[in-house]
Amino acid sequence: MNFEQLKDQWNENGTSSNEISEKMLKVREAHTPIDNIRKKMKNEFFVQLLSLIIMIFAPKVFGFSQQLSAIYFLFYAIACGFTAYYFFKFYTFYTHSYDLSLDSRKNLLWFYYEMKLNVELYKALTYIIGFIALAFSTTALVLLRGDILTKLLTKISMTYVVLNAFVAILIIGIITELWARFYYGKYLKQIKTIVDGMDEE
Amino acid sequence: MRYTQEEFLRQINENKGIIHKVTKMYMDNVLDQEDLFQEIVMQLWKAYPSFKGTSKFSTWMYRVALNTAIVFFKKDNRKVDKTSLNEQIDIADTSESTDKEEKLAYLYKAVQELNQIEKALIFLFLENQSHKEIAQNLGITEINARVKLNRTKEKLHQIIKNNGYEF
Repeated sequence: MNFEQLKDQWNENGTSSNEISEKMLKVREAHTPIDNIRKKMKNEFFVQLLSLIIMIFAPKVFGFSQQLSAIYFLFYAIACGFTAYYFFKFYTFYTHSYDLSLDSRKNLLWFYYEMKLNVELYKALTYIIGFIALAFSTTALVLLRGDILTKLLTKISMTYVVLNAFVAILIIGIITELWARFYYGKYLKQIKTIVDGMDEE
Repeated sequence: MRYTQEEFLRQINENKGIIHKVTKMYMDNVLDQEDLFQEIVMQLWKAYPSFKGTSKFSTWMYRVALNTAIVFFKKDNRKVDKTSLNEQIDIADTSESTDKEEKLAYLYKAVQELNQIEKALIFLFLENQSHKEIAQNLGITEINARVKLNRTKEKLHQIIKNNGYEF
């Protein structure tokens, strides 16, 4: 195979008739993996915002007592605080502009670590919300069914209680990891494969 | 702004062959090529304010175009064309210009089997870039660029040969 001859033919074939017009510069939607993750995070932001609004009405809908409502709103406020903090972080990520004029390795590493950082932030928020929900459910159980719970705790061993708590945390962890992998992991994996391909052998 | 839209359009139209070649190198069907073309033009326009003019416009364009292509993944719902080279390229006509086009068509089809970095290496090589320039564009060492380019050439040769063509 003569690569030099191929090179000449390649360079003879460089013209193209389609004119690039002003109209093509007006398209604003980019499709790099960063943009795809940003778009998905933006959609999730609206879903979570809607969920938080709906959750305000939970005490009324489920007829919580005054005591339980007060505890509910305490947990709700903590959840809102964490969510606001992480949303601010995601907003910074969303508005952080990039350009692709660096060398390919630097560019790929920027993409990889920027995506990884935000997927980790996303996972951290999911864990926190999961634990807040778990903590509230436990508190509500103590308040509503405290007598039954006390009886139950006297019958079962402490090891069983710890094991249950561990399983609950494990389930939250597995769901979070799987969701992040399914929703965002694909892009991370693709970029990592390309970065690895640049390493010296 | 230092650079006007008209100036950008003039320069990009003078060098648009680079974008066309990159899109054909990285995508095997026309719809994906159009998507990538649009994406490259958009990323070039977005990055234009950072173009300092210290290098040639085409040099800067190679980087942005290649970097966009490297991280551009085709839409999931589009199927990858797996038919053989001979099924796709009509080899009945043997005139000189058609022979050249045919070789390039085989080349474009064969490079689809290379990975993103191998495609970049072959592209920059065909664009007459030296090992040093290839290394600078990709951000790897010159030795690594040389080794990887030689391996990629060999791989490409093998792919074309396996598909029953030789040039």
